[in-house]
Amino acid sequence: MSRSKLSELRVDLPLLPTTAVGSLPKPEALLKARADFARGNISHEELREAERAAVKWWIRKQEELGLDVLVDGEMYRSDMVAYFAEHLSGFEGGGLVRSYGNRYYHKPIIVGEVIPGDPITVEWWSYAQGLTARPVKGVLTGPYTLMDWSFNEFYPSRREACLALAAAVRQEAEGLIGAGCKIVQIDEPAISARPEELALAIEAMKIVTSDLPAYFITHICYGDFESIYPKMLDLGVDNFDLEMSNSRAGLLPLFRKTPFTKDISYGVVDVHSHLVEGPAVAEERLRHGLEVLPLQNVWVDPDCGLKTRTVEEAIAKLKSVVQAAKALRGYGGQISTPTRSSFSP
Amino acid sequence: MELLTLTHSGYPRIGDSADEQALRRTIAQHDRGERTDADVRAAENQLVLLALEDQQKAGIDILTDGQIRWNDPVSHLAGKLQGVHTNGLLRFFDTNFYFRQPLVRGRIEQTQPLIVEEFQWAAHRSIQPVKPVVTGPYTLASLSICDNGSANKDGLIMGYAQALAAEVARLASSGAKLIQVDEPALPRHPRDMALAREALGLIASRKGQAELALAVYFADAASVYVELQAFPVQTLVLDFTYSPELPHVIEKEGSTKAIGFGVLDGRNTRLEDHASTARSIERMLARVEAERSYLTTSCSLEYLPRDRARLKLRHLTSLKKSILGEAP
Repeated sequence: MSRSKLSELRVDLPLLPTTAVGSLPKPEALLKARADFARGNISHEELREAERAAVKWWIRKQEELGLDVLVDGEMYRSDMVAYFAEHLSGFEGGGLVRSYGNRYYHKPIIVGEVIPGDPITVEWWSYAQGLTARPVKGVLTGPYTLMDWSFNEFYPSRREACLALAAAVRQEAEGLIGAGCKIVQIDEPAISARPEELALAIEAMKIVTSDLPAYFITHICYGDFESIYPKMLDLGVDNFDLEMSNSRAGLLPLFRKTPFTKDISYGVVDVHSHLVEGPAVAEERLRHGLEVLPLQNVWVDPDCGLKTRTVEEAIAKLKSVVQAAKALRGYGGQISTPTRSSFSP
Repeated sequence: MELLTLTHSGYPRIGDSADEQALRRTIAQHDRGERTDADVRAAENQLVLLALEDQQKAGIDILTDGQIRWNDPVSHLAGKLQGVHTNGLLRFFDTNFYFRQPLVRGRIEQTQPLIVEEFQWAAHRSIQPVKPVVTGPYTLASLSICDNGSANKDGLIMGYAQALAAEVARLASSGAKLIQVDEPALPRHPRDMALAREALGLIASRKGQAELALAVYFADAASVYVELQAFPVQTLVLDFTYSPELPHVIEKEGSTKAIGFGVLDGRNTRLEDHASTARSIERMLARVEAERSYLTTSCSLEYLPRDRARLKLRHLTSLKKSILGEAP
């Protein structure tokens, strides 16, 4: 089904398309520019120029590595929630809170009504797409995650905050599609945290994606999937981007029990380890997944955004992703993978 | 009836000032090989002092060391036990905070102290009493995976309980007057209450003269409140943010134990209305038979930015004054 949607959109991809999830590490020159900007040593426009250079560098690098669907690497974003909060009315910046170990992020505060405003990422997507003939994904943070990862001092309930944010994210998705974007990813890593709110997340996603002419992906990670599967398949997207390496493919038994009915972006390298998995490890993980998932429905990528890794580690991990996909793609129709009807009930 | 304020457990280990960001910086430098383990310890010490200072300035009666040295509430304890390795990242309940999941590969044995040195370090530097906090055996077990599948759930829980009981004995003999055992997983699994109670019993048998508090959070405690009253602890620290019915249940059932009223939301920056919160607590206090109770936040303050955590602590002190009829 999703292949036909891609065809309708005139997106031609090989078997086992490869992609990065979204964020990529900022090159040294950009880190220096950000530090210089924070100290007031360079102008806003000079920082923009450094961000554009970094996007261009990563587009070239992804092409060189052989990825099929590219990302802009989020060189201009601080954090997946804070970035959108900075550009939406109703938010104020919050202080740092820890996400894990020695990692921290700025958690914004909803202090007023969220009203959709000017496009946020459209110009950046257009810039990145203008640099390459390969499709570039638009990557947005979803309404449920924007709500769950912000403090709420304004809306009377989580639901009201989430639905207000859904309208804002829809407007941004419309902007991307209007600019020519055909593959839009709506990141919802928070969805798996509260199974009792899955219906709300589905309702919000419907507001974002319904009747829009694009192939939609959602990225979900690090949560209690057993509690939300298979109901999560009701999310209005074509492809689920899941972390299969960190979870040691723990989802596959669920997929054996209840077939996965949509496309999947299958994480074959862990993003929270400095250890770089070689192509053989990535290929083995992918092969394991293909014992359960139909070849034509699988994309291949890292578990999650790579921004916490060094540039060298990220490149090496992406190389493993591409080589694993190419190795198994080469088997073509000879690889023994199940079709939908081969699943046992 | 005595009413004391207490810090729940963790405190932000980062803030806006250079001092408050020193630990993050030092760990990053350590990861690059530019700093030693001793440098990291020194940065941790400094941040523990800052956490104690924040709590003292806010007027809190019973402090914690902020769990500043902890990477997360699970691996900090489980990772020091023999038979347990730490594995991939997993979300900590419904927060946006991640812990390293314990991978149990053999019999759980304690071969080194877990947190007693941290407790002593902070207690010796604080004018106010310091409360050590451990994550409980039921929660550690429910967040662990077994490599070979050989350990059953009961064995896993009791394995962790044995190790924690030994640590609680050390903490008590080191001068801890109040020791808190955190069991956020417990209210989510009411069927396992008897098992968890047995594990807590093992810990309670080693507590000496210390007061033992059981803290449950991140789930509705109202439905298990009556069963919690049967646990072998002197105090129940409860999260009121998930439980609209909990005040009514306490008013109806009463309490033979001290209650830690976790009424201020440790996960949202919004400051609660004092008047209605105070009235609700007063109604519940009338039904508490213990001579002492506590005011606290719903959970660790680590989920808030440091400036907001400070405000919550001050709000807690001011709430206490409202209840006691003192001028704020």
